[in-house]
Amino acid sequence: MSRFSFPRWSNLLLPVIILVGATMPLYAAYFVAYGFSPKTLDAGYQPTQPIPFSHALHAGQLGLDCRYCHIGVDRAASASIPVTQTCMNCHTTIRPESPKLAKLNESNLTGMPVEWTRVHKLPDFAFFNHAAHVTRGVGCATCHGRIDKMEVVYQFSPLSMGWCLECHREPVTNLRSPMDVTNMRLDPAKDLGIDEQTRLQARFQISPSENCTTCHR
Amino acid sequence: MPPRWLVFLALLATVAAVLPFTIVARVRATPDANRAVHIFQDMDFQAKFKTQTKNPLFADHRAMRPAVEGSVARGEVYADTHYWEGAVQGDWADGLPSQLQLTDAFIERGQQRFNIYCSACHGYSGYGDGIVNQRAMALMSNTNGPVMGTRWVAAKSLHDPLVREHRLGMLFNIATNGIRNMAGYQGQITTDDRWAIACYVQALQRSQNATTQDVPPELRKDLPLLK
Repeated sequence: MSRFSFPRWSNLLLPVIILVGATMPLYAAYFVAYGFSPKTLDAGYQPTQPIPFSHALHAGQLGLDCRYCHIGVDRAASASIPVTQTCMNCHTTIRPESPKLAKLNESNLTGMPVEWTRVHKLPDFAFFNHAAHVTRGVGCATCHGRIDKMEVVYQFSPLSMGWCLECHREPVTNLRSPMDVTNMRLDPAKDLGIDEQTRLQARFQISPSENCTTCHR
Repeated sequence: MPPRWLVFLALLATVAAVLPFTIVARVRATPDANRAVHIFQDMDFQAKFKTQTKNPLFADHRAMRPAVEGSVARGEVYADTHYWEGAVQGDWADGLPSQLQLTDAFIERGQQRFNIYCSACHGYSGYGDGIVNQRAMALMSNTNGPVMGTRWVAAKSLHDPLVREHRLGMLFNIATNGIRNMAGYQGQITTDDRWAIACYVQALQRSQNATTQDVPPELRKDLPLLK
C-alpha cells in the first residue's frame, strides 16, 4: 500500500484560498452597501391606489400645475393630498359615469375620504417642510422625479438621511428660480448652469443647515 | 492540472458570485407594489397621528378633525363683507378691501395664481380656451354621443362683454363660490389670493381691449411700430 501524497495541482489551492479569503469581506461589504441601501429598498415603491388616477394624464398631457391639487405645498409642511371636491371641480361634468371614478363619486356622496395609499413616508422623527423648499427654488421634480410621465406614482428618491444631506451640503446644482418649481421639463443643472444657479443661491440666500435639530425636533 | 469537476466547480462559484448583484440591480430597476420589510424599527413608526393620516376611532377615519359646524376660528369672523364676500352694503364692491393694497407684486401674484387655478379652463389669456376645456369639448363632440356621461359647458371667455361688466367684488365672489358649472375655489385658494386673481382678471380684460389712452403718453410715440 502506497502512502497518500497530495497531487501536484493541489499547490494551486493555497493562492486560490488566500485570494478568496481576502476578497470575501470586501465582497460582503459591497453587497450589503449596494443591496441594503435605501436606493434598493425604499426607492421604487409603487403601491396600487384605490382610484387609478394618472399623473401622466393630469400633470403630463393636461399640464395642470402641481399646486392645483397639492395646495399645501407652497404654504405648509405637507403638500397634502387633494380633497374629493378638487377632483369634482371637473369630474362632476367630465366622465362622471366612468367606472374608474366609482369610488370618487361614492366619497362625494357619503363624505367619507378616499383612502389613498401613502407613497412617500419619512420616519416619524424626521420633519420635512415642503413650503421651505418649494418657495426657495427646489423643484418638485428634483425629489419626486418626472411625475408627469408616471401613470402610477412611485417613490423616485431614496428619502434617506444621506440623500437629504447630499443636497444640504451642496445645494447649488439643484436650484432653480422659485417661479419654475413646478416645471417638470426643466433640468436645473443642465438648463440653467452653475453660474445662474450660483446667482440664485446668493439672491435667495440659500445656506441649508446641517444641524440635527433642523429635521429632528 | 486539477480534475475537471473541480475546475467546473470553481467557474460555477465565480459566476454565482455575480448573481446577488444582478438580483439587486434588477430590484433597483423595477418598481415594487410592497414597501420594503422594515427590520430595524428604530422610532420610525410612532404612536401619533400626522397630517392626513388615518384614525380608526372616528367613523370617517380622519385623524384631522373637520371643524364643528358653526364654529368660528380666531381671525375668521366673517363680519367684513367686503373682504369675505366682495360686497359692500348689498352691492358688489368696486375696489379692494382696506386690508389689501393694489401693487405690481399683488397683480403678479394674481397672475401666478390665475395660471395655476384658472388657466386650465379659461386659458392663459382668458379666452376660455384652456386645455381642460378643449379636451372636454372633444369628449362632448364624440360621434357616439358624449363620453361616459360628460356634460361639459364651454368655459366662458373672460373677454365676453357680459363678463367684462362684472365688478371686482363679483369676480372675487365667482372665484370664491363658483358660478353655474364652475366650482368655487374657496377651499383651494386663499382669500387674499382670490382678490389678487380678481384684480389680475380685470388687468387681463383691459389688456385685451386696450386703446391708445391706456398707453402712458411718453410711450405713445412707439405705437406705430407695433402695427
